[in-house]
Amino acid sequence: MSSLRLISSAARRVSSFSLQKRGYAEVNDKLKLSLVLPHQSIFTSTDVVQVNIAAEGGDMGILANHVPSIEALRPGVLEVIETAGGSKKWFTSSGFATVHPNNTLTINVVEAAPLENFSAEAIRSNLQEALKVASGSGSEADKAEARIEADVYESLQHALGK
Amino acid sequence: MSMLARRTVLNRATAPLAAAPAGARNMATLREIELRLKSVRNIQKITNSMKVVASTKLAKAQRAMQAGKQYGIANAEVFAHTATDKPSTNRLFVVISSDKGLCGGIHSSVTKATRKALNNTEDSPLAATTAEAPVDAESPVMVIGDKSKAQLIRSVGGNLRLTFNQIGRDIPTFADAAGVADLIVKSGVKYDSVVLVYNKFVSAISYEPASMVVKGEEALRESNAFKAYENEDDVTKDLAEFSLANAIFATLTEGHACEQSSRRNAMDNASKNAGEMIGTLQMQYNRGRQAAITNELVDIITGASVVSIFLPSLQFVCSHPLDGWPATTMP
Repeated sequence: MSSLRLISSAARRVSSFSLQKRGYAEVNDKLKLSLVLPHQSIFTSTDVVQVNIAAEGGDMGILANHVPSIEALRPGVLEVIETAGGSKKWFTSSGFATVHPNNTLTINVVEAAPLENFSAEAIRSNLQEALKVASGSGSEADKAEARIEADVYESLQHALGK
Repeated sequence: MSMLARRTVLNRATAPLAAAPAGARNMATLREIELRLKSVRNIQKITNSMKVVASTKLAKAQRAMQAGKQYGIANAEVFAHTATDKPSTNRLFVVISSDKGLCGGIHSSVTKATRKALNNTEDSPLAATTAEAPVDAESPVMVIGDKSKAQLIRSVGGNLRLTFNQIGRDIPTFADAAGVADLIVKSGVKYDSVVLVYNKFVSAISYEPASMVVKGEEALRESNAFKAYENEDDVTKDLAEFSLANAIFATLTEGHACEQSSRRNAMDNASKNAGEMIGTLQMQYNRGRQAAITNELVDIITGASVVSIFLPSLQFVCSHPLDGWPATTMP
């Protein structure tokens, strides 16, 4: 009787072990993402499938087990594809995305907002304003600032148009 | 009658000298106690309202700290993976405090920690990392906040390079941190790593000075582990500067939350102490007042009994000198 129980318990243990192993393998296919702003943390070590970023060198998609790399971000769309709930898009300011050797991706950006929260109206009027200042008779620094502002609005317009 | 009245007046006037000095002194200090009571009550009102203000600010500061801390953790990840192969001795200390006092000992705790770090004492916040590379006592120091500046200028005045104020009045913003980082980079001070000395929020009633190390551009380049990272456009310089701003932001928010929490506690204690003081003063005042009243009553009764002794005797003095004496002495 006792040996029977032993066998059954051993069998149970084996089955639970194999389950655990499968679960562990699944986690390995995912990327740990931390997407943080100074005033808000959007993701903190959350498992996600893929992250598409707009890096200085061009747009790129990051999957699990990516090579460690450091990418400066330009203002653009950041897309996070989570497990079940489809993808979410944010428009981010510049910052840094870093893939670490331990399969984690940290993204520090100064400002980000969900793409659907932007108003096309406001972007258009602000873009006009920025372009006016950029071509106006302000100081060089002001003009350069307005140029950057206009670039951001343009890329934002582009992102919304897609 | 008039003579008797004069006698009682005389009695009262001479009382401080002979009859009841305790009661008379109370009469003199009663006014003083009242004044002190009034001022302590005012102080309690002030500390209490400061406590309420700090409590409401604390809730906001703690929320900001949560986000700021996560931001700092994500930022520090790259430094956790890039161990330096060559120990760096060229450190720049940045002390994170603020301009306002009345918040317990949090400013002096970062000051002390900085002094300890510069002296390489055993309990310095850098003790774990300075085993092979002791801190140079001449290391440059920059201070955010007037309070710690005033304390550090006495002991390590020669090390101070830059000081900042007007930061940390309200919740620190990223713009504050970026401004500080920009000035540090522009200051021309050479460093391999920046050591941020700040107050770490352990719990609502305890904070401890801690340090956060941010590597500079050169130190990152020299690290072999950093070379494992793919870095096509060579953004090391930008990364180093951005990381510095991020780390300053994270420590600023944490330091701010500590300050508000500490101020709340300090003001809470001050209000409690004022309450205790008001209790004892009130007791003293009441006792003094009671003593004065008793004294006056004694005077009045004495006076009355004297009057009742003498009035009948005056009445009967012509006919029966001894009549009525025993009856009137004990009314």
